[in-house]
Amino acid sequence: MMLFDRIGTFFGIVFHLASDPLNIAILFGSVLMGIIFGAMPGLTSTLGVALLTALTYGMDTSLAMVCLLAIYVGGTYGGSYSSILINIPGTAAAAATALDGYPLACKGEGGRAIGLTTTASAIGTTISMIFVVSISPIISFFALQFTSFEFFLLAFFGILISGTLTSPDLVIKGWIAGFLGLFLACVGRDLLQFYPRFTFGFSELDSGVEVVPVLIGAFGIPQIIQVLKDRFQIGETQKLQRIIPEIGTVIRNIPAIIRSALIGVGIGAVPGIGEDIAGWVSYGTAKNTSKHPETFGRGELKGVLASETANNACVGGAMIPLLNLGIPGSPPAAMLLGALMLHGVTPGPMITFEHPTFIMEVAAILLLASLAMFVTGLLLAKQVVKVLRIPTQIFMPIIGVLCIIGSYSLGLNIFNLYLMLPVGIICYFLTEMGYPIAPLVIGVILGPMADENLRRALMVSQGSFMPIFQRPVSLILFIIIVLTVVSQFDWYRNAKNKALQRILNRRNTCETILEEDESER
Amino acid sequence: MMDKEKLRKADIFSGGVIMLFGVWIISQAIQMPMKDSWGGVQNVWYVSPALFPLLVGAMITLLGALLVRKALHTVGRKGLMDVLNWLGSASLVHYLKTPAVFRFYAMTVLFFSFVFLNIPRIDFFLCAILFLIVFITMFYFDDDALLKKMLCFYLIGTIVFLAFFSLGLSDTLEASLPYPGDWLTLAFIIAYCIYVWTLIRSAPPLRKKYRTALILAVVAPFTIGPIFKYFLLVPMPTEGVVVAALDALWYWDF
Repeated sequence: MMLFDRIGTFFGIVFHLASDPLNIAILFGSVLMGIIFGAMPGLTSTLGVALLTALTYGMDTSLAMVCLLAIYVGGTYGGSYSSILINIPGTAAAAATALDGYPLACKGEGGRAIGLTTTASAIGTTISMIFVVSISPIISFFALQFTSFEFFLLAFFGILISGTLTSPDLVIKGWIAGFLGLFLACVGRDLLQFYPRFTFGFSELDSGVEVVPVLIGAFGIPQIIQVLKDRFQIGETQKLQRIIPEIGTVIRNIPAIIRSALIGVGIGAVPGIGEDIAGWVSYGTAKNTSKHPETFGRGELKGVLASETANNACVGGAMIPLLNLGIPGSPPAAMLLGALMLHGVTPGPMITFEHPTFIMEVAAILLLASLAMFVTGLLLAKQVVKVLRIPTQIFMPIIGVLCIIGSYSLGLNIFNLYLMLPVGIICYFLTEMGYPIAPLVIGVILGPMADENLRRALMVSQGSFMPIFQRPVSLILFIIIVLTVVSQFDWYRNAKNKALQRILNRRNTCETILEEDESER
Repeated sequence: MMDKEKLRKADIFSGGVIMLFGVWIISQAIQMPMKDSWGGVQNVWYVSPALFPLLVGAMITLLGALLVRKALHTVGRKGLMDVLNWLGSASLVHYLKTPAVFRFYAMTVLFFSFVFLNIPRIDFFLCAILFLIVFITMFYFDDDALLKKMLCFYLIGTIVFLAFFSLGLSDTLEASLPYPGDWLTLAFIIAYCIYVWTLIRSAPPLRKKYRTALILAVVAPFTIGPIFKYFLLVPMPTEGVVVAALDALWYWDF
């Protein structure tokens, strides 16, 4: 009965949202904007969400979520356009799509590839939406049992795993970025005793660093500098024919699509890991499980379907920890968290009590956004592709102005700009030296949660760390953290390999003895 | 991102800087109340505001040290010496003069002057137009020699602005001429446009780009600005002559 109630509530919200023309206009407008942001190399869905956050300041929470989720969904999908047509991924999430998408476009099947990615992305988002609705109550139930130690360890785990999986170079650099983010989160008066930390006498820093300007600076400024410094040029666009969804091909590949969607949801649910990793893992899995792996990289439709389904399924996956634990599942989700806080919604286990229908609303928006993306993708792809002709030297300075006015408008504070720009320049240097930015951002967001919960937990336990080992969830999290850390060291890998080798040798010896026994008999 | 070998060499320094930064965090954290009283409350170590910064500082120091160790292990003593020699050689000066680095300087100068000098003092529309005209023309022409000339001209203008505001000329002139900073900016925009025109007038392809740059630099602020100012009701960081004119137009009682 409860299930039917939930389904009824869900469709009620979908109908309510879809019946308001303003919602629909914002939905389609934001999806289109997202597709443009995704398609333009150099712009990302994270930056799109960041810039649009400023515009949603005056909207009510529901409309703001329509706007932001639609640009997130559109941005994740839009990356496939430039991947397929110019062999340059519009976003990192669409990097795997380029491997097979571009060869397809070279064969004159660009329209077919975009039609398939549109359908696959819509299916991926819809499947992830189902997970948001069905898994959220379970996670919320468990999260309600969490104490401060669990939340501290969860925040710590989020930063470490994000650093481990997003680092383009050494894993240590990902961790360093995460701890630098935690340091930024320390700035301001501490929440328990109101003591000013690292404020240097600036009263503007008393309330801590504003998350959204830091995020805009961290993602926007390095992007602008990199693109213009390295003289990034968009290549010649392949011709685009009629775009058709090819339902037959999609139905034939339903098992592969569902598998890719599950990979996307799973990876999206891991804190701080974005759509790019989901796309690559799904592509790799599709290749490894294919009967003809040699066709991958030469225009294989299954490759395109795998990466695009997974990266869009990641959107819903990223919503699961964001809404239930307050931990963003991906960099754009980190931006969404900042936006939600601006609108007075604090994601976490209490969200089902404070805003009982909020998760349903998010799921309904995801469903509507996937439909809007499908329609917009099929009808307007040829027009959107024209934006790929705009030179980067023109739109990047305009993005710079948007970053600045966007950071300022959140709080109407010029000090936000003084903060955004140095953070952006530092993040540019960090990026150049192989440090990932996502863990830094996750650190800024999860820092207050880690700090407050660590001290609160120690207050309850009178300074003892023993509850970590006495509570099952804490213990599991602690073991995962320790394993995540030690698995990066050579001595651990050597010891593990030696142990495995010893087990294999012993097994071989046993098998030999058994064979000898059998032959003797 | 740099290639792997260069990255390892750079890691020695970035790791070192990060390690020192971690030490600095610790040194600041130990000055925070640990067990002593703060605000009339007797502290215990586990509720101290220093606890988390100490943890973060210690981790940053440790990870920085591990990065330096890893980098030294990879490049060896010879690699370190190579880097030190490079830092003391003419190659460093040569590197700092490469076109890519110049493009970085240009962007940094533009962003810093826009944020720290212009936005707090000049009408937002005017400083956005100035920023966009300079930024787009510098990079859209795709010519490093032109970029250097334009950057020099812009730097001279920035120095004039610095002197104008720091010497208090703006406040002195305010009594006789409203918005003196804005008029100066307008004059500088015109001067910059004329200067760039003299640079590119003999090259027809650049003349087309110049026109596009001028149109976009004016259209973009007048599209973005009113959305924030009149639809989202966000006051501009500084409202001067252009905002006053727009206000008069917007609130004009027909």
